[in-house]
Formats: sequence, C-alpha cells, structure tokens
Amino acid sequence: MNKLVPRLIRRILGGIVMILAVASFTFFLIHMIPGNPVDAKLAQLEIAGVQPQQAMTEVHAMYGFMPHQPLYVQYVQYIWELLHLNLGKSITYAGVSVTHLLLEAMPWTVITVTSGIIVSFVFGILAGVIIAVYRDRGISNGLTLFSTFLHGIPQLILALLLAYLFTTIWAIFPYGSPYDAAIAPGFTLPFIGSLAWHAVLPVAAYAISSYGGWALTMKSSVISVLGDDFILASELRGLKPRIRIGYIARSAILPLFTTLTLSIGFMFGGSVFIEEIFDYRGLGYMLITATGNLDYPLMAGSFLIITVAVIVANIVADFLYTAIDPRIRV
Amino acid sequence: MSQATAPYLGTVPPEFRRPSLWTISWRAITRKPSRVIGIVIILFFTLMAIFGPMLYPKQLPINPAELYAPPSWAHPLGTDFEGTSVLAEIITGSRYVLSAAALAAVFTIGFGTLAGVVSGYFLGSTDQIIMRVTDFILTIPGFPLLIVLSTIWSFGSPIAMGLVLGLTGWGGLARAVRSQTLSLRERGFIEAARGLGLSNSHIITREILPNISPYIAMNLLLSVTGGIYAEVGLFFLGVIPFQSNNWGVMLNLAFSNGAMYTPQSLLYMVSPMACILLVTFGIVLTLDAFDEILNPRLREG
Repeated sequence: MNKLVPRLIRRILGGIVMILAVASFTFFLIHMIPGNPVDAKLAQLEIAGVQPQQAMTEVHAMYGFMPHQPLYVQYVQYIWELLHLNLGKSITYAGVSVTHLLLEAMPWTVITVTSGIIVSFVFGILAGVIIAVYRDRGISNGLTLFSTFLHGIPQLILALLLAYLFTTIWAIFPYGSPYDAAIAPGFTLPFIGSLAWHAVLPVAAYAISSYGGWALTMKSSVISVLGDDFILASELRGLKPRIRIGYIARSAILPLFTTLTLSIGFMFGGSVFIEEIFDYRGLGYMLITATGNLDYPLMAGSFLIITVAVIVANIVADFLYTAIDPRIRV
Repeated sequence: MSQATAPYLGTVPPEFRRPSLWTISWRAITRKPSRVIGIVIILFFTLMAIFGPMLYPKQLPINPAELYAPPSWAHPLGTDFEGTSVLAEIITGSRYVLSAAALAAVFTIGFGTLAGVVSGYFLGSTDQIIMRVTDFILTIPGFPLLIVLSTIWSFGSPIAMGLVLGLTGWGGLARAVRSQTLSLRERGFIEAARGLGLSNSHIITREILPNISPYIAMNLLLSVTGGIYAEVGLFFLGVIPFQSNNWGVMLNLAFSNGAMYTPQSLLYMVSPMACILLVTFGIVLTLDAFDEILNPRLREG
C-alpha cells in the first residue's frame, strides 16, 4: 500500500507530460496547415476594415497566441492560455469560447457512452459466465458464435445499419435529432422521456459494438478462475451451484473493471461515427464539424479533450487495478 | 549387391522430401471448407480490385430517369440517387479501398516489427525510447488523430493513405513483437548464435524474424481489416477530399444525399457495408489456415 502513492504521482506526472505533448502537437499542427490559417484570418479581418492592432487581438483570442512573433513566444503564450483552460475562440460559432462549446458538448458524449458501456458490460458479463460455465452445451457454442460475430462488426457499419433499419425500413424509432423539437427543453418528464426514446439507437450502437469484447474477455477470465483451488474447495463443501457461480464471477470480474475504465476513455474517440450518424452534438461531432469547417481552434480543443479523456482513463484504470485487487498491493 | 550403385548425391527419396510451401498451403487450405471459402472470397475481391475498374468508363454514367431503380439485368444491385448502377460503383470503388488497406497493412507490419524487434533485442536505452514512443502512439486515440491529420496530409493516393494508417497504427504490434523477441532471445539457439559471434543483423533476420513470421503474417491480414475500417470511416465522415469513388465515398454520398430517409435505397446502402463485412469474413476464415501453413509446430508429419 505504501508504494501506491509514489506510483500514482509518477503516473499523474507522466499523464501531464503526455497532455503537454499533445498540446504541442496541436500547436505545431496549426502552424503546418497549408495556407497558414492564422495569416489568412488576419488578412481577412484587415480587408474587412478592422484596425491591424485590433485584428491581432482578435486572432489572439481565437488561437491563444499573437501572430508575427517568434515561434517560441507564440508557443509559450499558447501553453500559458491552455493552463488557464482557455482553448481559444471558435470561428464557426462566431466568437464563442471553445471551452464553453466543449463543456456543452460533453454531456451528450459522456451520458450516451457510459450508458452504452454499462448496458454492454452487464450483458457481456452474463454471456461470458454462461459461455464458460456451460462449456459443453449447445448454448455456449451459440453464444460464442453470436458474440464473435457482433465483435467483428465495425462501429460505423453497425450504427449506420441500426439507423437505417430501425428508422427508415421499420420506422420504430425517431431519427435525426437527440430530442423531439416540439417539446421545450427543460427538466420535465416529457422532455426527458423524449431524450431517452431518441437515445435508444445510439446507446444500442455503443452497447452492441462493445458487448462481444466483454463476453469473450469474461469467458477467458472465468475459465482461468475455474481451475483455482477455492472453486474446488467450494464444490467439495457442497455449496449450491448458484453460490459457486457467484464466487467464480466475483473473482473473474476483477480484471475487467480496469478494462471498463479504459474503454470509457477510448469510446470518447469512437464517439465520432455514432454522433455524426445520430446527429448528437457531442465531442466527436464537434471534432468532425470543426475539421470540416476549418475551425482550427475548436478542432484542436476537441482533439485535446478527447485525448485527455483517454489519458485520465488510463491513469484511473491503473490505479483501480492496484486498489481493487489485493494480490497486487503486496 | 553386385550391380554398381550410383553414387549417392543427396537426393532424398520423395516420401522423405520436405513438401514445398505450395503443397503445405494447399493441404492446409483444403483441410477445412471454411478456409476454402475464405480464400475464394479474398481472391474474388482481389480480382475485382485489379480488373474490375477496367470494365467501366472513368466517369460512371448518371441517369435521372432511373433514381433508386430496383435490381434489373442492367443494374443487378439497383441504382443510386443519381441513377448510377450500384454494382458499377462497388466494382470501381474496390480498387482504392483494397489497395490502400493492403498498403496500410504492409506499413503497419513494417514499422511495428522493426520497432518491436529492435526494442526487444537491443534492450537498454533503445528499448526505453522506443517503448515511450509506443506508449504515446497507443494512448492517443487513433481515429481522432487521423481526422486531425487530414488537415495537413492529403490522403488522396492509396500510398499516402496506407502510410499514414501505418504510422498511426503500429503501436500494438510493436509491443507484441517486442515481448516475443524478449522470450526468443533467451532461448538456446539464439545464445548459441551469439556465442558463435554472428552479427546482430544476422541473428535478427535469420534467427528471430523467421520464428515470429507466423505471428507477423497473421497480423498482416488482420491489419487489412483495420485499414479498411479506418479509411472507409474517414471517407464516410467526409474530412478528406476525394478524387475517385470508393466504398467510403459511397456511404458518405448515400448519407448526405438523403438515402437514409427512403427504403428504396436499401441495396445502395447495404452493398458497400456488405462488401466490407464480406472481406473481413474472408480474412478471418483464411487466418485459420495461415496459422497452420506458417507455424511448423502445427503441421502434421
């Protein structure tokens, strides 16, 4: 236990270095974009009749650095603004700060991703236990085949198929927006109901695409636990199979919790397709539209946030791994 | 024993001769029907990508009178929102998708194997540096990175696309190859080779690489599927300007031209997706045979 704190500190420091590296990457990326968008914006403002000094300040607000200064000065300015959580101003959403836009986008991604992963985790775990425990029955083979099949479908195709099949071919679910436009947004029952009804397909897309992975990992985890002595002991003590399965599942699930945290981080990156297809204004959607509209501050900001989510998830997973499993702490 | 025996020149009687790679492959593939199906699917799509585009004009004809036409002899998979034959689009679009994916796999394998072997064989500070870079590559979410890179890198040609997919995707393989190299370098035959004073490059190319080649070959095939998903995804999102038609562009145009809203576009929507899944399916089925062909330990007598 006493090694836990220095280890955690080392991981956090490593994470900070990585975040800085990604921030530097986005900084240099903006400078490498063909046609120099910063100068182009400056020229555009000056043509529009803005005073040069004022144009400079406006560009500074957008990108977080003053143009026409030595590169290292720009770099220090950029990182300095980042440390103050200032990611610049969006170009397409005229003048709105990127931080504000991303904070607004975050709930759409976080809520759909986590509910999708929780649903798939529950079903995947159940399926994995069934596959491993009833290894010699038909149901096990069937479930394995089913899980492998679902595991193999890429998220893009899955989401497109779900959207197309269940909104157009069989018009069961609504399509095209995250809630019914006729209902006024607010904390009211009809609005929340509408949100949930519209979220069925995107959440299902997240859930189905990660279900297979859980089922197959849980299967091998359970099989490795089945050989342990304490299972044999519980069998010899004459415990009911139901209680025994409980014992097995409880220790087999441990390694999966770390993967759970990791996958929440990675799903942030995978949110791109599902948000584009179901028109959810989350982080992935922001990244796509910003890239499409050449809104570089917003693009750099959303890429940074997505990466930070992954890095944080990595650290939490590592920490959880040591905290949850007493055998590692020694 | 009076007759003169011909001098024994090292010809091995046929029953003891080591079978050629072709024989081994043929035996391994025909052992299970699923593997034959896999190979047939891959061959089918390879031929489609090589010769298919020659059958059609560079600019596919559009026909405003036949929007979303049902399947017919002229258009076996129906037509799209402009009246272009879906089958023609699938065939002409296969070349870019498959060649870029194949190149992506080659680059991924190249970078990953190089980094993994060098890191696992030389250890020390080389290993430290390479593994830091690998961690970095593995942590950064790959697909968003590709989207961001699309602003400074033109993915137009299959080579450019393959190269960037390779550059962003080698991390996992490098780690796996490194751990395999680590366990190999402690084995007796490698120690013997080092004891004999053989050069590092000889040990790596002649002793280590052949031993991990089955693993690499399987990953080559698997990376093709990864490459297809990534490029189709990029084209679907429309962040790359496209010069020619391909399956990802088809999905993009279908999505942005309202094919999602009409049930008549069923074949148009489903065809590119079905092709992607079929290629994946073929690759997964073939992988099974690959393992047996390349892994001497699995071969029977």
